Amino acid sequence: MTAPLLQLRAVTKSFGALRALKGVSFDLQAGEVHALLGENGAGKSTLIKVITGAHQPDGGTLEINGERVAHLTPASAHKLGIACIYQQPALFPDLTVAENIGLRLEPASAVRKVNWAVRQTRATELLKRIGAEISPDAEVRSLSMPEQQLVEIGCAIGAGARIVIMDEPTASLTQKEVQLLFEVVKDLRASGVGVIYISHRLEEIFALADRVTVLRDGESVGTNQVSAMNETSLIKLMVGREVSHIYPPAEGEPGEVVLEVNKLSCVAGDVKDVSLAVRGGEILGLAGLVGAGRTELARVLFGITPADSGEIILNGQRVTIRSPQEAVAHGIAYVPEDRRRHGVILEMPIAHNMTMAIHRRIFSGAWLRFGAEKQLALDFIRDLGVKACGPDAPGGSLSGGNQQKVSLARWLATKPKLLILDEPTQGVDVGAKSEIHKIIRQLAKEGLAVLMISSDLPEVLGMSDRIVVMRGGTITATLPGKSDAPTVMAAALGQTEAVK
Amino acid sequence: MNTEKHGFKAALFRHETVLLFVVVLEWFYFNSVGPRFGSVDNSFDIMRHSVEIGLLALAMTPIILTGGIDLSVGSLLGLCAILFGKFWRDVGMPIPLAAACTIGVGALAGGLNASLITWLRLPPLIVTLGTFSLFRGLAEAITRGVDTFTNFPASFLFLGQERWLGIPAQAPAFIVVAIGIWLLVHRTTFGRSFRAIGFAPEGTRYAGIPVERRLALVYVLAGMIAAIAAVIYTARLGQAKADAGMGYELFAITAVVLGGTSIFGGVGTVQGTLLGVAAIAILNNGLVHARQPREVAGMLTGVLLILALASSILPKILATWRARRQTSLNKTPVTT
Amino acid sequence: MKRHFRELSVAAALLLVLLALAVLAPAFYQPQPLLSLLTREAPTLVVACGMALVIICRQIDISVGSQFAVCSVAAGLLAANGWPLPLVSLASVVFGLIMGAFNGWLVAGLRLPSIVVTLATMVTWREALRWLRQGQFVNLPDGTQWLGLSQLAGQCMLIVTAVVLLVALALATKHLAAGRFVYAVGTDAEAARLAGIRPQLTTFSVFAFMGALVGLAAMMNVVQSPQVDPKSGSGLELKVIAAAVVGGVAVSGGRGKLWGVFVGLLLLACISPALTHLRIEAYWEKAIQGAIILLAVVADGVRNRKETV
Repeated sequence: MTAPLLQLRAVTKSFGALRALKGVSFDLQAGEVHALLGENGAGKSTLIKVITGAHQPDGGTLEINGERVAHLTPASAHKLGIACIYQQPALFPDLTVAENIGLRLEPASAVRKVNWAVRQTRATELLKRIGAEISPDAEVRSLSMPEQQLVEIGCAIGAGARIVIMDEPTASLTQKEVQLLFEVVKDLRASGVGVIYISHRLEEIFALADRVTVLRDGESVGTNQVSAMNETSLIKLMVGREVSHIYPPAEGEPGEVVLEVNKLSCVAGDVKDVSLAVRGGEILGLAGLVGAGRTELARVLFGITPADSGEIILNGQRVTIRSPQEAVAHGIAYVPEDRRRHGVILEMPIAHNMTMAIHRRIFSGAWLRFGAEKQLALDFIRDLGVKACGPDAPGGSLSGGNQQKVSLARWLATKPKLLILDEPTQGVDVGAKSEIHKIIRQLAKEGLAVLMISSDLPEVLGMSDRIVVMRGGTITATLPGKSDAPTVMAAALGQTEAVK
Repeated sequence: MNTEKHGFKAALFRHETVLLFVVVLEWFYFNSVGPRFGSVDNSFDIMRHSVEIGLLALAMTPIILTGGIDLSVGSLLGLCAILFGKFWRDVGMPIPLAAACTIGVGALAGGLNASLITWLRLPPLIVTLGTFSLFRGLAEAITRGVDTFTNFPASFLFLGQERWLGIPAQAPAFIVVAIGIWLLVHRTTFGRSFRAIGFAPEGTRYAGIPVERRLALVYVLAGMIAAIAAVIYTARLGQAKADAGMGYELFAITAVVLGGTSIFGGVGTVQGTLLGVAAIAILNNGLVHARQPREVAGMLTGVLLILALASSILPKILATWRARRQTSLNKTPVTT
Repeated sequence: MKRHFRELSVAAALLLVLLALAVLAPAFYQPQPLLSLLTREAPTLVVACGMALVIICRQIDISVGSQFAVCSVAAGLLAANGWPLPLVSLASVVFGLIMGAFNGWLVAGLRLPSIVVTLATMVTWREALRWLRQGQFVNLPDGTQWLGLSQLAGQCMLIVTAVVLLVALALATKHLAAGRFVYAVGTDAEAARLAGIRPQLTTFSVFAFMGALVGLAAMMNVVQSPQVDPKSGSGLELKVIAAAVVGGVAVSGGRGKLWGVFVGLLLLACISPALTHLRIEAYWEKAIQGAIILLAVVADGVRNRKETV
């Protein structure tokens, strides 16, 4: 029996206290399409980064064609024939397709003549091979995202890759383009290439893949022949787990409707026809997979990408929100997903971060009042349990969990009516996670309306009073808080038949 | 635990203390080299000459804090000086009115920079490079390259050349602006938002701060301050010519960077800028007394700017070196 | 066609100006002044090509005017000391190269922002030169002007040199890998690094090359008169930046064609004589130049805004 193209044995990888891979074994045979399935945070991207050499594993072994590879770097991975097609293509927008392919595939010496004729033929050939109707002279800037992905695939094929990883390749493709992609993948398989296919679209996995491996919480929970599985069994594998974390229970009845959204759409923000309602005192969980449109919805509600059509009604009053200032004025707060870029300014002290959104309220006449600011900061540090050296410590000196608390404090200081949380415990250690959950529940108890976006399924199930599931920019299901994981995941995957 | 707090503050302190030390050193050096240097008369001379550059440096500080730059302030000074002369001589306005109108023009010019930078999201570098040329060009065009405005009334020239209550007459104006800018940057929410924009423009937007409005403010303010500098310049020299303020932007930027303001934004103090202005002014004046040609002053300023820039980058470079060595000796993963 | 829209629109503008001149001021087309104009602008074209590369690489260099002056005076002094002209030319290029390399080291090596670095070097070189020369002209020995040839031959030679250089550079940016690297680094330095290109080396080389071109241009300017004016090159940086920006080079990097810069430069060069013939005074020139830079940048900004929305 020939050695597999790729063999990982008991690979572990941790980032500080976070254990991303806890001993994953995975193999890829030549001429197979091996699907990789798992929720967000299950470890898929870490695994891929280990395979492409971007991360070094802490433990375990990696073999390529039966030979052990001790220290893989992106450059050596490229040489060994490993190529990865990401969702965000890394092409040069102002150069042509032929040039992009050329820059990728040609040696990096500066003093050599560029053979445009060769570039042209090579590009035309590659594009034809994958059946893409793209002119080699087109500027990449003018191509759509799917077309850019096809160019990337062309680069991979051109580089003679034997192991091709595709990370959610069909996320933004039309049906026709998906079929095109399938043909390309089948061609690759037929020519002996091994394809690792990551996708959340179960129908694709059933249509294309030979085997499927499911990752959950950094471990592989099973590698099976696709023919031996069905949707239900796959979903169960993805989400079935021991419930070890205790979530604070809901108390009291929710009050009046605080936020009502009717048929909200924003073309630029990829939000289509969303309608939902959040009551005071209730936590509405917004579930879905990455790219489902949840953060986009939050950005519409917060005024970063204003809505094109539809209504937003706050406490019975119809409002238009065209900018974050207006959103804040109406009592909406948004704790962003990207903590380090949008949530906290790392170079500034904690106290300054906490007062960043309430300048008008706490500093009358625009004069800074350091005493009041310090007091506010101390109060929040105490109430939220922020572990810091003091209110003057820069945001960047805190751990992820504590940064998240500072971000939260900033918005709680605005005394909002609606609090939108975007992945509130992402990258946060277990202890801080628990504390943040208690804080959120307490806020709800005090009457705040909370819209919680989370990709952490147990968190969604444990915290939400009601659950709304999004996919493709629109809502696929509204479920009670007591739903089970497979139901929510099914709705997130668009498998509406599996929803009870 | 407490070292963190001290570390943060200590870093700020260190730069200004060093600069203060340098300024004092300069003073003593030039005192020993040039006989008339330390006299009261000369000190006031230094003050007079440094008011205009000081004003431009003050105007530049908020802009650089936001991570931007304004290359047009020197040219705007020239344009405002000309217009001031024109308002007074050809339109016949009384001096105070002419000054007020000039400040208005300064605000408009700053507004031009502001609108191009905020509405069209054009890089401040190229916009102010264009206005650098445009403003100077307008000054030259209006004066047909030759016209000069002179014969200002003595009461006006008093502002630039005489003393008031024992100090140079333009000093109060400078002090007022300096205090105003200091308060703006260090004691108001505007100043806080300038730093935030310099550190993280997107993050600041997410905090609900009107980023475009704040940016517009700093550029319009710079225009107005340049206009004030123009009036004082005219009073000091007794004449307004199209080449007024030529090359001042270099001195202003150097003073700001010397003073510890990072060219990338977010970090910086007004007191640092003032020390930077002092350092440059003393250097310029001292060199004259040491009987060095004035070109040496220009050269040294250029060298000084490069050294100041390099010294601020040095910690970053060292950190990248260390990190790169770390990953090549790699067994410890770098936390994402 | 669409890809060259920007450059073609500038060419159209140039044609309009030329037509207007033909109708309103046919005296513009007399051979002698026209030849003089082209000869005067030949060194500027050389520098503009270099500046285009710098801007495409997402940097800027406002010290070229001072570099030009230094190289001119240095060349003049060497010529006055009896050095043979070919050696003088080489020396001029080398001086420029050294100054450019210094800029390049600060920008690429120390990662300092190019605007402030070149602002500093601009003033330093200029003041140093002023200190050394005190405004004194350099008298060139006989045989230097026009390289000892007749004025006509000399003028033609200079124009041809500039055009040949333009064509060579245009070909190099298209067909030499190093040329393509400049575009790649100017678009996305990180992506370029991942593709195996070395962004710091590319940036450094662009500045050094710019310096060398300035040295060449300085020599081309020196041979046009019997003396070297230490104030030569004043305002050069704005002129070439304007030519580049008008000619379609994007300040955001990664975009631009050298022949567009050529057209842009011609357009700007025609403005001064056009002004004279339209009886607009010469002192409007700087203002118009500034306005043109702003207009070009605004037009690009508006177009980009439309594209992204």
